[in-house]
Amino acid sequence: MSQTVANCPNCGAKIVFRWSSSVQTVCEYCKSILVRSDVDLKKVGQVADLPPDSSPIQINTEGQYGNKAFVVVGRILYEYDQGGWNEWHIMMNDGASAWLSDAQSEYALSSSLKASDLPAAAAVQVGQQFTWNNQRYTVSVVTPAHYRGVEGELPFQYWDKTKVTFVDLRTASRKFATLDYSDPEPALYLGEFVEFDDLKLKNLRSFEGW
Amino acid sequence: MFRKLYLLYGAMVLSTAAFGQYRGWSLDTVNQLRNVPKSVRDNPGSYRSVYSGYHHYTGGK
Amino acid sequence: MSVGTPPPSGPSQVQPRALNCPKCGAAITLHSFGQAVTVVCASCRSILDAQDPNLAILQQFEAATHDVKPLIPLGTRGKLRGTDYEVTGFQRRSTQIDGITYDWHEYVLFNPYKGIRYLSEYHGHWNDISICKTLPTADFSGANYLGETYKHFQSADANTDFVLGEFPWQVRVGEKAAVSDYVHPPRVLSSEKLDKEVTWSIGEYMYGREIWDSFKLSGEPPEALGVYENQPSPVTINVTGMWVAFAAFAVLLLALMAVFDMRAKKEPVLQETYQFNGADLKSEPSFVSDEFALDGGTSTVQVKTSAPVDNHWIYVNYALINQDTGQAWDFGREVSYYHGYDSDGSWSEGSRTDSVVIPSVPAGRYYLRIEPEVDPSLRSTPYSVTVIRDVPVFGIYGIAFLALLVPVVIISFRAYTFERSRWSESDHPPMELSSLSNSSGDDE
Repeated sequence: MSQTVANCPNCGAKIVFRWSSSVQTVCEYCKSILVRSDVDLKKVGQVADLPPDSSPIQINTEGQYGNKAFVVVGRILYEYDQGGWNEWHIMMNDGASAWLSDAQSEYALSSSLKASDLPAAAAVQVGQQFTWNNQRYTVSVVTPAHYRGVEGELPFQYWDKTKVTFVDLRTASRKFATLDYSDPEPALYLGEFVEFDDLKLKNLRSFEGW
Repeated sequence: MFRKLYLLYGAMVLSTAAFGQYRGWSLDTVNQLRNVPKSVRDNPGSYRSVYSGYHHYTGGK
Repeated sequence: MSVGTPPPSGPSQVQPRALNCPKCGAAITLHSFGQAVTVVCASCRSILDAQDPNLAILQQFEAATHDVKPLIPLGTRGKLRGTDYEVTGFQRRSTQIDGITYDWHEYVLFNPYKGIRYLSEYHGHWNDISICKTLPTADFSGANYLGETYKHFQSADANTDFVLGEFPWQVRVGEKAAVSDYVHPPRVLSSEKLDKEVTWSIGEYMYGREIWDSFKLSGEPPEALGVYENQPSPVTINVTGMWVAFAAFAVLLLALMAVFDMRAKKEPVLQETYQFNGADLKSEPSFVSDEFALDGGTSTVQVKTSAPVDNHWIYVNYALINQDTGQAWDFGREVSYYHGYDSDGSWSEGSRTDSVVIPSVPAGRYYLRIEPEVDPSLRSTPYSVTVIRDVPVFGIYGIAFLALLVPVVIISFRAYTFERSRWSESDHPPMELSSLSNSSGDDE
């Protein structure tokens, strides 16, 4: 987990990669989206002003999941008809990458799983069941959303998406799954809902009056 | 909560019943007198009970 | 950070957004920060899009009747489950069952870290509600959630009549949701279907006093009327446990009876037959028995009188006298037996034997002073007197049994009436009440 330091090709500001496998980051100063190759950093786009959001989590927030500590290194913002939510990219202390989602203060932690035979978006229906890792999941809601912005370090290239479909699957326990149709190939994430208190988050944003 | 109270209460009821049996309690009411003179043994007619023991029976069909 | 570059505009302290209503210009502040999806302008009754920087107007509504005032004012903060929440929204909803409208209030509670919870209030009964993260399973009779079984209580359509403040969903006055409640006191599991989307929530009963203390409200909370669907029973929930305890005590009582019965010596100390001669009126009718000893400790003493009377009576005045202490027990016993034959058949009344148990007689030397009286129409009769020491008294066990039974019966009855009261308001009222109550049956 050595940190790599480079300079922003657009404005020259110092860029720090906390996560060795980061593929993309955003320059804090000029909001340029930078993609990393073996050789250099390349600007591929620009992030528009992020909407005012009220997630208490921010980049550099630290927390605990089970017996592993993690730090928040990046995020993707989405919006849908009921509002917005954040997918925070977190780096576990063993170098693994995972996602902490914050949707109206409902927190969940998930990791991507390589799986084959994932259905196409059009083929998915509420109530349909799938089994992954010996656990049965039931489709609960199909959400058409759109990408709103990125911040910090991400493990893949992700920007300027327009419409993105997400399929939520639930179980009788805290476990859940998400099918992410941002790319032509669907991506599967398995995770579980977590309580705010169990995450033992530190270095959170503060709210006026709270 | 009620259950605990009841268990305590039941234990008290049972102990009282056992104590009563041990001490010879009875359900019948009997009048007690003191200081009956020894002379009654020789002269039973001299004994007069204090209460209405001389209840003259008036019942029957 | 390199020297000479501007500091990053990272996230600073989150401020509540202050805006103006596009219709009437009134100032609006979003207290739930980014989590408000809709916000109501109280001045002009417009529902605005809180996610839109221009606050597009989504709906205009008229307050159906008079203005509804929330019991907990918007902006009040209170502690629930160890976390501070602020009241950011309020709505009045109603449902119609059998032509009668029932309305209740719901409050939206917000904490920037923990998110959103809800409070509902109906006739003084409160519930602390949150959205279920894990999915319950349900059928028409019941539901299962986190290992608990819930019984179906009611299904009805809920109308939104009046709104104030901020909501984390697209609220509209007049929207109708199909709601089903399943109960497992003190919890209630609710499913709400609105526009094809089903949301499950779990509520826990709270008393008005707890709410008032939590939100530090002045005055008194509204009185709770009737029994609410998930109101915990104030009588013991474990009525079965009480009956089990009673059964155990009954067994112990029987054991006690057996033990004391075995222990009782039942010693006869006097057994005599005397003759009463009515003709002998001039002589003194009273006499004394032989002396007898009562050995052992203080005990009961049974005196049995029997006479072969036939449609006659005899009455015997007794005094059991302690030879040495002069203590006496004075009592009179009647032996009478009548029988005959009339239009209903044969009848009989009375008995040829009488028994009385004298309590707590100490050990010592005793004699009986006996003074008999006989029915004048029966001039003479024999009668026998038996004195037995240390007999068990079964009546005491009878009293003990009743004493054990009565509280259990009372509590069972109270629990029963409480539950009847609860279910009389449901879709499944108790049988005999379904003709009287106005709750619907299964044709809802």
